[in-house]
Amino acid sequence: MAPPMIDPALFDQLKSRIDEDTNIRKELDQIIDELNQHVSYTQGLLSRIHSTPRSKYDALLGQVENGIKQEIQTVGRLSAFASQYPYYKYNHKWSRTVQDAISTAILCAWLGGLSPDSKPGEVGRLLTLEDVGKTFEVPVNLKDRDAFHITIEEYLLGLIAVIDDLSRLAVNSVTLGDNAMAVQISGFIKDLHAGFQVLNLKNDILRKRVDSIKYAVKKVEDVVYDLSLRNLIPAAQSQGAQ
Amino acid sequence: MSGSKRDWNGNAKRRDGPKPAPKQVVRNAYTPIFEQLRNELDEHHDRRERIVKASRDITALSKKIIFSLQRVRKIESQLPANIQAEVDSRLAEISKLLATLAPEIQGINRYRYSRNLMCLEELVEALTFGHYLKTQTLISHAELCPIVEDLSRKGAVPQEDEVMGDAGDTAESVAEAAEAPTTEEVPIISLTDDDYLYGVFDLTGEMMRFATTSTALSGSMASGQGAGSEDDESRTIVQDMHELGTFFEMLPVGPEGRFQWYKKLQVTRQSVQKVEKLGYDRIVRGTERPNGWIPDLSAGDQGQGDELE
Repeated sequence: MAPPMIDPALFDQLKSRIDEDTNIRKELDQIIDELNQHVSYTQGLLSRIHSTPRSKYDALLGQVENGIKQEIQTVGRLSAFASQYPYYKYNHKWSRTVQDAISTAILCAWLGGLSPDSKPGEVGRLLTLEDVGKTFEVPVNLKDRDAFHITIEEYLLGLIAVIDDLSRLAVNSVTLGDNAMAVQISGFIKDLHAGFQVLNLKNDILRKRVDSIKYAVKKVEDVVYDLSLRNLIPAAQSQGAQ
Repeated sequence: MSGSKRDWNGNAKRRDGPKPAPKQVVRNAYTPIFEQLRNELDEHHDRRERIVKASRDITALSKKIIFSLQRVRKIESQLPANIQAEVDSRLAEISKLLATLAPEIQGINRYRYSRNLMCLEELVEALTFGHYLKTQTLISHAELCPIVEDLSRKGAVPQEDEVMGDAGDTAESVAEAAEAPTTEEVPIISLTDDDYLYGVFDLTGEMMRFATTSTALSGSMASGQGAGSEDDESRTIVQDMHELGTFFEMLPVGPEGRFQWYKKLQVTRQSVQKVEKLGYDRIVRGTERPNGWIPDLSAGDQGQGDELE
């Protein structure tokens, strides 16, 4: 007469849902692995900018763009698959990888790649969050529906990685004799640093990474200081460091 | 640079108050971009803050329900009236808090803030425990969901006549309930599998405590049908604990949160063994106790009145 403590159907139901969850995660892992490979390859290519003079950027960026195209394809697959499930349930699995993909796109564009057909590529273009969304063909900062998108945090963290990389480029561009590049980077990073000061940050990972920007600023300022001390800054660039 | 100050209701205080000019930020080409992002991020932080606050209150109330339920001495279909009243009044408060929480965690935001929603686990624990004490069964996820949904729906309807709890809480919940009905369709709260499972994990701990106190005070293992039933074969809490233990041992472990799962499983195993030991002691030494003997626990027992029921 007394019902059993646990309804047998309950166990089966929960078990099948946990199994389903496990399968979703496995599938995601595969896609994310693939994305990771494309991102690493593209990052590797991009690291050549540190030893490439500006005149040879075009060839290099062409290769980088191909890498980014592969990233875009995989992000598309990820988006299609992940959009079937609650976004934030699995978001932490790919967030890091997507950040890295974002930073490859931002860096490539800043160096003059990924330019729209109408305008020739020029150094110093910043991709906004919306631009990044267009590049990867996914929505950004979704609030009204539950689907794959790029979050603000992912964009900002990706941008901070670019700042780090550019501070390194400032040093190496001087080594390659391109002093104007260092000055331009200095202006860009300082502007972004000021921009990040506008944010109200909580005590989280973003805060921690934003705090690291000042070291990049200092590194680049030191380079510019060394240059100005020795009168090595090209006259035209010294004002127009935007 | 840190977060904004908040008033009692968790709303960010206006920044134009005592601190008019924060600091002059250098404006440049990128400032507007960052200002827009700041507004978006602030919205997220503020929402999380409100959720954390409501969640904390719900957790505290759920714990109080569990304390009340621990004063029950035997499993029967009706809780003692005074305990039922305590539980009901706490649930009424919880349902108001749930109603304020519900709109914040709709759609995409359900999982976004799931880490700030530990209160649901606690609520599941309280509800499953209450259900067990009344029916000696584990309520299923599917049965529990409508109950929680119902709670969040009820809280959205202003109930001025219900005044209970701390003065501060009441003022707050009345204020919040007043603004809730502006939304046409009342948003409800959904329980995830994890909320349910981890709540049931904690239920085993409560059942262990209940088994211990009720055995010590009544001299028999808690079981269905009350004392002196015609059905001698009625199930005791020992068997129920065994079944729950097996239930968790057999469930597959998801790849995520393994660590937490095994920690909870370990605690469950200990609880099961404690109740086992209790059952053994009852069989071996229980007969040595004079009939009707009750240990003197007057100092530790807060619920003398309950046994009269």
